[in-house]
Amino acid sequence: MNVAELPMILFTVIAQMCVGAFLVLGVVQTLGSLRFSAKAIDQVADPALLAIGPAMVFGLAVSMFHMHDVTNTFNVIRHAGSSWLSREILFGTGFAALGFLFAVVQLLKWGRPRLRQALAVLTALVGVGLVYSMSMIYYSLVTVPAWHSWFVPLQFFATTVILGSLAIGTAFVITTSVQARQVARGVTASAADSGRRVSLRQRFTTPADPAVRDEVEALLAVSVRGIVVTAFVASAALLVAIPLYLSGLTAIGGVALQSVEVYSGALFVARLGLLALGAGLLAVFTYFIAAKPRENLGRLVVVLTTSLVLVFIAEVLGRALFYESMFRVGV
Amino acid sequence: MYGFYFDQTLCNGCKACQIACKDKHNNPLGVNWRRVVEYSGGSWQVEGDTARPSVFSYYTSMACNHCENPICVTVCPTTAMTQRADGTVYVDDSKCVGCRYCEWACPYSAPQFNAETGHMTKCDLCFDYRESGQAPACVDACPARALDWGPIDELRAKYGDQNAFEPLPDPSTTRPNLVIKPHRDAQPIGHGSGFIANRQEI
Amino acid sequence: MGVGFLEQDLRRRSFLKWSSAVAGSGALVGVGLSLTEMPGVGPQQAAAAGDGMADADRTVWSACVVNCGSRCPIRLQIKDGTVERVLPDNTGDDSLFNRQIRACVRGRNMRQRIYNPDRIKTPLKRRDGTERGAGQWDEISWDEAFDLFAEKLKYTIDTYGNEAVFKVYGSGVWNAHLGTSGGWARLFNLLGGYLGYYSNYSYSQIGTITRFHYGNPDEQISNSFEDSIQHGRMLVLWGNNPQETRMSGGGLVFTSLEAAKTAGLKIVVVDPRHSDSVSLLADEWIAPRPGTDAALVAGLVHHLVANNLHDQEFLDKYCIGFDEEHMPPGAPANASYRSYLEGKGPDGIEKTPEWASRITGVPTEVIKNFAFELATTKPVNIAQGWGPQRHANGENQARAIYLLSNVLGQVGIPGGGTGGREGYYWPLTQWFPDGENKVPVSISNFGWTDAIDHGPEMTATKDGIRGADRLNVGIKFMLEYGGNMFASQHAENLLTREILRDQSKCEFICVVDNQFTGSAELADLVLPDTTTAERWDLAPSEYTGDMAYLIMCEKAIEPLHDSRPAYEMVTEISKRFGVQQEFTEGRDLEGWARYLHEELNRKAVPGMPSFDDMLSLGVYRYANPEGTTVALKSFRDDPVANPLATPSGKIEIFSAELYEMSLTWEFPGGDKGDRVSALPEYIATWEGAEEAREPDAKYPIQLIGHHYKARTHSTYGNLTNLQEAHPQLVWVNQFDAADRGIADGDIVELFNDRGRVQIRAKVTPRIMPGVASLPQGAWMKVDAQGVDHGGSVNVLSRLHPAPVSKGNCQHTSLVQIKKV
Repeated sequence: MNVAELPMILFTVIAQMCVGAFLVLGVVQTLGSLRFSAKAIDQVADPALLAIGPAMVFGLAVSMFHMHDVTNTFNVIRHAGSSWLSREILFGTGFAALGFLFAVVQLLKWGRPRLRQALAVLTALVGVGLVYSMSMIYYSLVTVPAWHSWFVPLQFFATTVILGSLAIGTAFVITTSVQARQVARGVTASAADSGRRVSLRQRFTTPADPAVRDEVEALLAVSVRGIVVTAFVASAALLVAIPLYLSGLTAIGGVALQSVEVYSGALFVARLGLLALGAGLLAVFTYFIAAKPRENLGRLVVVLTTSLVLVFIAEVLGRALFYESMFRVGV
Repeated sequence: MYGFYFDQTLCNGCKACQIACKDKHNNPLGVNWRRVVEYSGGSWQVEGDTARPSVFSYYTSMACNHCENPICVTVCPTTAMTQRADGTVYVDDSKCVGCRYCEWACPYSAPQFNAETGHMTKCDLCFDYRESGQAPACVDACPARALDWGPIDELRAKYGDQNAFEPLPDPSTTRPNLVIKPHRDAQPIGHGSGFIANRQEI
Repeated sequence: MGVGFLEQDLRRRSFLKWSSAVAGSGALVGVGLSLTEMPGVGPQQAAAAGDGMADADRTVWSACVVNCGSRCPIRLQIKDGTVERVLPDNTGDDSLFNRQIRACVRGRNMRQRIYNPDRIKTPLKRRDGTERGAGQWDEISWDEAFDLFAEKLKYTIDTYGNEAVFKVYGSGVWNAHLGTSGGWARLFNLLGGYLGYYSNYSYSQIGTITRFHYGNPDEQISNSFEDSIQHGRMLVLWGNNPQETRMSGGGLVFTSLEAAKTAGLKIVVVDPRHSDSVSLLADEWIAPRPGTDAALVAGLVHHLVANNLHDQEFLDKYCIGFDEEHMPPGAPANASYRSYLEGKGPDGIEKTPEWASRITGVPTEVIKNFAFELATTKPVNIAQGWGPQRHANGENQARAIYLLSNVLGQVGIPGGGTGGREGYYWPLTQWFPDGENKVPVSISNFGWTDAIDHGPEMTATKDGIRGADRLNVGIKFMLEYGGNMFASQHAENLLTREILRDQSKCEFICVVDNQFTGSAELADLVLPDTTTAERWDLAPSEYTGDMAYLIMCEKAIEPLHDSRPAYEMVTEISKRFGVQQEFTEGRDLEGWARYLHEELNRKAVPGMPSFDDMLSLGVYRYANPEGTTVALKSFRDDPVANPLATPSGKIEIFSAELYEMSLTWEFPGGDKGDRVSALPEYIATWEGAEEAREPDAKYPIQLIGHHYKARTHSTYGNLTNLQEAHPQLVWVNQFDAADRGIADGDIVELFNDRGRVQIRAKVTPRIMPGVASLPQGAWMKVDAQGVDHGGSVNVLSRLHPAPVSKGNCQHTSLVQIKKV
């Protein structure tokens, strides 16, 4: 395992997960608003928003370890005209900044909803731009056959969608679980209802107004099911794409064959197995128990968290293999 | 635009060029602005008590080709990797962050990471020597006189314009300012039956 | 010509006696003549007045003086008392006789040698009570060191006699007019002499056997490359690899490439390895198994004779021993070479090409074609290197290749050759005078371990003692100056070191060097020498073809640490013997340099500039006034007026002297192949090609050790830039590797009964199946289990000498290889 590239492995996976999470959150908000009230949606979605920010910052911080001279760091955006790395850094810091801004205005409910929505769309687009430029950093290296392939953007977006979905799904059920525990302790929504200022923590752990509780449950069922279906489909596509990719490399020959050799052995099997398990088998199971979320909340937390962890590991392994498969033509 | 000429028919892989450059710039182990690659192939026909060889082997010395389309410059996020007015490519040390993206990109391994400084380093066609009317150190060093340098159009007029030989990469990618006189056994790119025999050294 | 310490061991000097037999071939002369238009060569490519770094305080001329066969100038750029950069020669216009002498990869790395952490910093004495090799040292003052050296030397001479004093071969300071001597032999000679040695590790077998064939007490050189370029139609490099054994850019790398570019000159290389000479020079490559060259020759000659393609006239007029009609008086019947070929000799085997094919591994039709080409592409220069002779049957290998040129009638004609190594013009400049060695006894270069171990048992007929019937006493006092014989460069390293560790045998060991080598580990006293940059010297050319030269070595920097040039050490020691005046003649080192140059060199070489002018000129070139070297030309022109120094005056294919020796010399060990033969017949030896191929052979791989670009023997072996550029690897054929599950880059173990070496493998098609090569000279790194991880080939070679020369047979060695 190429531990030298650990900063890059973690940064790319975490950043893609964050973008994916933001996108999925956006979809939930948008599609959810067709059927559910804003109050129900906010109850479920807002806490998740909080998790993305720190993760993104962590990812960016880790990426700094990839540089060997941080004193010249500010130069890295100077070549956006031709360098995908410059562009990626611009998109990355842009996504983090916009995401932070959106989180603030959304959680404090500043500005009109339409405005906040526009900001969300902008942030989402910048996030997509981030994942795209990340993939282009590698794709644009025509001298590395294993990276100059349609597979790379596909893989990066797949990671984005799969991990993003599972992350949001996990966030949803954990939030709901925490809130349910508050109910068990006899905490009501009265504090929020009374209009008193409450801490964010209180706000997020306080269970929903009983009036919207059924709505919340329905939203949860629909969104969790939608999430695992998304993860399942994206994973299936990925598992189909991988052998196509490898046979394509084999056909190219030359150094590409050395890249193909990397995708073998225990780590590769683990990468595939954990993905199939987390986003396949467990996803199917989740689909069924998500029909009755309140009843299965405990199980949902366990299963979704497990899925997220397994798939995170799978993606980290996959990314590690990706870096190890770097073989360049020439001398 | 300046470039190098290299004669494969004369090179025995001694690496005096590599050492002369290393000595001049005090480069540490692991940092080699010029490298020599051995490309070999073939086999033996063993019949009874006899063995008949059909073997080839030749060397190619490579520094930086100061390409017309330098992929290292394109990908560099800080503009540290940049071109002079004379077309030669060099690293502006004051900007480099050591991200090593150029190292990933260059199919000639020209950008060399210096762990001591944390920056990328590279052949700059001996800018200092050129300024004082001298030839690059590697050119003057070669005991076989296998290297030459100069304005690329002059090199091409004098030596031709071939450079697409194994194990080099396709020249259309970066358009290296390089002219090669092929070894008698040199194989055209894409039609190689040999292998790089000294990978750990380059 | 001056008498020098080299009198006994370097018979190359005596070559000057033969300069009358060597004559030019035509009107070609001197400086400024350019032959063919060589790519990358020409006035515009010759380095201009390159001054290197802009802010150097001084740039001085110096040289790299290691045993590489050439010698190159290097310019050292000094700033604040430190050498900051090495620059190459920038003189000359790159025409053939005025070519630039560009230093090779090793000399260019001189700064890593000067400033190496392995530099010996101060005199060291082995701590009392510790064993040799235990690594416990006491730093002592120079005065203490000189006192100790003098005390031990005096004790040895008084107790055992001068014959017990020995200075072992060492070529780390090589072919420098002052440095190579260092003054040691001069001192010993002032004190009554010392046990000498004849021959050397480079060419022991051919160097001793040649006098029986051509009468030359040294090797018999062939025509030069320059001559082949001008007049030859074919050049055969037989076990000869100029691209890797003569790497100077002013020497044979240059001229052999010129030969390759010469239209109409076909080059054939004979070598079990696809060397870089094969890669760059060969139009055809023939690969025989190591040690079977004499069989290949026999097969070739058989085919020539069978088709009447041999030069009978030449053989009749200039040779004896080829056929029954031309044998010396008293020779037995059917002892001629022709009888040997036809199966009429004692072994009754006909030496057909088919026979040769089975032994050498070269296909029959290749042998036949090669013979035909040789016969029809004349003149042909067959130039053997020193590979074929460094075998257990090396004497016969060397003579067989000589014989081939005799059968083809190519001796002494332009474009032809003698079968010896490519010729050269020997420099005329003068050496530090060592005086005359009054001890008449000498052993072979290789015999010193025997002389330590059981000296008084060594005799003339059993061990090659010369100058006496036997040794009276073994070696008791051992000096190693600039050599690494006690570690990686002798044979059977582990046994050698065992012999050296026995203090009751060799009682005192002093090692003088600038790097702390494996040899220094076994010393009782270690003295720090300087490098060339820290002292004065004059360095002549060596084997550089028809261009000779002299390089000025100006002292560039002060000696580092507490090192001193050897001459200054010996001066102090001489005081302790009261012979200081006789030793120094009132001169210091610079004084000697000036004296040698002004008084002797300027007289010997027309046009030689003054010493002070040489400081700025750096190099002075001069060429063979007779043009290019045609060896034995006067003998060919008139064999009656210019006979060879053989008993018959002719080329002796059957040597009566060797025949006598075959009856009187003793080989008690009875090792296969240990015999003297009057003919250059093929002899199968211990650990030879045939033994390797016996069914169920325990050690089926023939191991040779080629000369490697990383080092010059073991000099430069500890420089990290060179280890990085040329890592130590064993060359293994791809089939042998596949059979053993070995992939390129795997660590493998080479082993036999003498030792174990673990090193990385280079799996390559560039070497014959059944043959492996571990480049010689690597520094040993022996672990606690006795396994060497440095890759020293001599851990595996055998401490057994060749029959006549009593020399080193390091290419005759069998091993097994396995993946680790």
